[in-house]
Amino acid sequence: MKTKIRNTTHLDSHYLAFAFLMICAVIMLFPFIWMILSSFKTAADVYSYPPRWLPSKWNGSNYSKVFNMIPFLRYYWNSIYTTVIMTALQIGISVLAAYSLVHLRWPGQAFMATVMRSSMFVPMVVTMIPMYLLVSSLNLVDTYAGIILPQISTAFTTFLIMSYFASIPQDMIDAAKLDGCGPFRVMTRVVIPNTKGAISTAALFSFLGNWKSYTWPLIITNDEMYRTLPIGLKYLQQESSSEYQVMMAAAVMTILPVLIIFVFFEKQLVRSITLTGMKS
Amino acid sequence: MKNVKKILALLLCLAMTAGALSGCVSSYVNKETTPAATQAPTQPPATAPAGETLPPETEAPIAGMTLNVWYAVSGTSGELFTKMSEQFGSEYGVTMKLTYTGGSGDTATKVAAAQLENKNMPDVALMYAGPLYTGGKDNYDIDNLIKNGSGFDINDIFEGMMDYCVYMGEGYCALPYGISTQVLYYNKDMLKAAGADMTNPPKTWSEFKAVLEKVKASAGENKAFDTTDQAWLFKSMLMQNGCEIIENKEGNIVPIFNDEQAVEVADYWYSLVTDGLMPAGEHNNAENTFLSGNLAFLAASSNRISRWVGTTSFELGAIEMPYFTQPSLALGGNVLVIFNRDPEILRAAWKYVCYLTSVEKNTEFALGTGYLPIHKSALEQENVKKAIQENELYNVAFKQLSYTWAYTHFEQMGTMDTEIKSMLNKLEKGRGTSQELLTKAVEAVQKEINADK
Amino acid sequence: MKKKDEHPEKAGSGKVRLFGKEYHTKEMLVGLLFIVPTVAFLIFTFVIPVIDVIELSFTNFSMSAGTMKNVGMDNYKDLLEGFFTAEYWEDGFGQSLRNTVVYSLLKLTLDTGLALFLAVQLDKNVPLKRFLRSTFFAPVVVPMVASSLIWIWFYDPNVGPLNQILQFLGLPASKWLYHESTSMLSILIFSLWKGVGYNIILFLAGLQNISDSYVEAARLDGASDWQLFWKIKFPLLRPITSFVIMMGIINSFKVFAEFNVMTPDGGPLGSTKLIVSYIYELAFTRGRMGRASAAALILFVIIFVLTQIQSFINAKKTIDVE
Repeated sequence: MKTKIRNTTHLDSHYLAFAFLMICAVIMLFPFIWMILSSFKTAADVYSYPPRWLPSKWNGSNYSKVFNMIPFLRYYWNSIYTTVIMTALQIGISVLAAYSLVHLRWPGQAFMATVMRSSMFVPMVVTMIPMYLLVSSLNLVDTYAGIILPQISTAFTTFLIMSYFASIPQDMIDAAKLDGCGPFRVMTRVVIPNTKGAISTAALFSFLGNWKSYTWPLIITNDEMYRTLPIGLKYLQQESSSEYQVMMAAAVMTILPVLIIFVFFEKQLVRSITLTGMKS
Repeated sequence: MKNVKKILALLLCLAMTAGALSGCVSSYVNKETTPAATQAPTQPPATAPAGETLPPETEAPIAGMTLNVWYAVSGTSGELFTKMSEQFGSEYGVTMKLTYTGGSGDTATKVAAAQLENKNMPDVALMYAGPLYTGGKDNYDIDNLIKNGSGFDINDIFEGMMDYCVYMGEGYCALPYGISTQVLYYNKDMLKAAGADMTNPPKTWSEFKAVLEKVKASAGENKAFDTTDQAWLFKSMLMQNGCEIIENKEGNIVPIFNDEQAVEVADYWYSLVTDGLMPAGEHNNAENTFLSGNLAFLAASSNRISRWVGTTSFELGAIEMPYFTQPSLALGGNVLVIFNRDPEILRAAWKYVCYLTSVEKNTEFALGTGYLPIHKSALEQENVKKAIQENELYNVAFKQLSYTWAYTHFEQMGTMDTEIKSMLNKLEKGRGTSQELLTKAVEAVQKEINADK
Repeated sequence: MKKKDEHPEKAGSGKVRLFGKEYHTKEMLVGLLFIVPTVAFLIFTFVIPVIDVIELSFTNFSMSAGTMKNVGMDNYKDLLEGFFTAEYWEDGFGQSLRNTVVYSLLKLTLDTGLALFLAVQLDKNVPLKRFLRSTFFAPVVVPMVASSLIWIWFYDPNVGPLNQILQFLGLPASKWLYHESTSMLSILIFSLWKGVGYNIILFLAGLQNISDSYVEAARLDGASDWQLFWKIKFPLLRPITSFVIMMGIINSFKVFAEFNVMTPDGGPLGSTKLIVSYIYELAFTRGRMGRASAAALILFVIIFVLTQIQSFINAKKTIDVE
């Protein structure tokens, strides 16, 4: 960890910053608090006027109701399974591509970057139908592959990783080359170890992007066995359109594990980012 | 732009590779022009006279078969639907594969997408706007099966319900199930506070307005009335005032909701806003406002009956929908459609939909959900009579059955609803006169219809 | 994205000349090999569907009707007709275009500015740093359906807590999502809450990687916090800032989920109908796949031009700095 220079004026500014950050944090947390409180409310509490902050009677029945309404754990598993595979694929492909684009030289790199960037411009809502026809003709409807493969978009993660790869000092790479490392070993021995933190950031973002996908999994699955969590939540929302409290219970259960993983993961993440020798 | 050229060149050469690899791009494009051609040649043409090729022997066993069903109703309705379907399955030895496919929009998207390739289709679906995907694709198997007279007594069905199962004014291509109308719910506590006597409910919209004024006097502005689905209510009101909404001129749909009668309805609608009786443009929030006790009257789907009874914080009541010159209510909700045209599966599917639409089963479903019974004879059933006596909400919903109607399904019906919604939104915000806005909406719908020709 | 030209000469490796440039054979082959998976997925998830979309944009393809007729440029004409009249921007595609530009400008400036500001504060030696960082990031991991439900409730004019708070503070109640003057703002606030943590993490990673030697040197020169930030840190953050802005442009022009869940029919008087919502309505409510494809391609061109401009400006600035 780095050492900061301390003196009184800076300490004052830190207190100011802290106060400001705390206010912002309260605003950010407020919806979560509301969500947790609401998940214990009764239907009457939800529609009481003026609004009621605390439940009139704490009851956990909303939570058990979620399990009665949808196969929550199955959906959860599907979400984790598809998301992890998607993320792993995306990161693997992106690391190779980023390395190839940043540290190797071959003709047509600029074209490639432009096409990749362009691939981010098209909203999924229009490509969905052509894509469905393609996937259906490959007999991938109702398979994990059908859910996963069409959603692999590596442009974002590639660019993110590229911006970190570019910061690796050229001397380091040259030194490895002089030691007789070929392009492949330069990547595995020098580039990847030095950007582990950055790659995990990209993995985190990729995970989050995949975690929330809704429309495609819905279109491509006819079997409930393959449905993912966002579909389950939407299903609950439609089913209990006037039962906020049940939705909130489902939301709490959806969010908590992810938050816990994040809080745990974040410590490693931030440390490794900081350890990465990324000096501009 | 140099990059544009680059990308086009690249696209082009990738296109050739890709096209050669899969051949799917052009193949599906060709397929689309003749959707009927994708069906197996062994299947009978839709126009085949009844009885010649269809239907299959209804007595032959169907045990051991599998039916793949998609449905778009959720909550209590979904539970009851799956329960009944499984009952059918165990009674007839048929394996039921039931899948909830999301709300009406999601289900329609799934069906439309699957239909493009004619692959991964369900055998049966309970969905909104079903006729577009059967009759619209020249599939009138249901018409033939009904005419053949086995299992489904069309004479016992309310006429309006069967009209809801028609595509472009031609034969039947769906069966009514999970159908609803709007019901005018009200908050008894608020009306008591306003001193309005509801034992003799208002019959016409102008009488209704007098009641709304009382509510306004006691509860304040914009708390008297709203609806969750403005286009649905507006269409009912048009019919009540003698405007037919659309005309079917030899297979061409012509929107006509900008005549004098329609203008009258729109003027009335606008006056609800200007008189402070209905909030402008808050229909999406109307249900919450009503449930929180901040709205006296709410026009919403009859399927809310099962959901709300006993859960509201106030005493819930309902009255028949007011009218202009004649009582009239547009139908909404779902229909049952059969997609699989394989004679064997069709036989099982027909057995299944007949089971669901039988008087006994359909009445049970109606009473459990607030969707409407489809049979005239249902009103004589003991359990229905009992429900009517005990629960005034069912009483109102079922009484309204005698004057429900529906227009034929046509491709642009969704577009028409969107246009009506945005027209009403502008009207409520005073962005034009009734005549101007109605005419603009009619022109927009007409333009969309022409675009498909 | 930028190629460094100063590659060291390597003895003994084969070279090849292509398009007037010299490449190391082995390096080139490995490079091409590594890009193959990306190309495969690009063809599958981008090139093929986009070619279909281009093809469809010249037809009147309707999903439900299954009709497909070549209509030439009709779809484009329909979408762009009357482009230079004031009316065009009041309704339909024009309105969605205008809304999108307004939203993107606000979101891009507020989101980037706020994220950078908060990241700088977090980078200071404040207590509870980890807690704060996690707090800001937490909304990002909440699924859209769940978080939008919370906020729809917040914004409810009757039972929502926000109006209660306003009244407590003696302010007039608002209609939030249900009035054309506040609907866009409401969604903007929601999307800031939902998204700001994302960029904070990116900026924070950048800030923490700035070498202490720069900071110490500046401090010894007597630089104030303010100067330290603008003269040292901000220029060093340029690659991250430019990445954040590029993604910001792309994402805010493509935004859909927030708007679809909070105002499914485009909000009061269409005030929250954005391009992608418009495309979605065309394609799925109206079944006009053909025209929706044309609209999507127009969107494509807009984003393409904007990101080109952005990378042009960025390249120029980088040169200036050097």
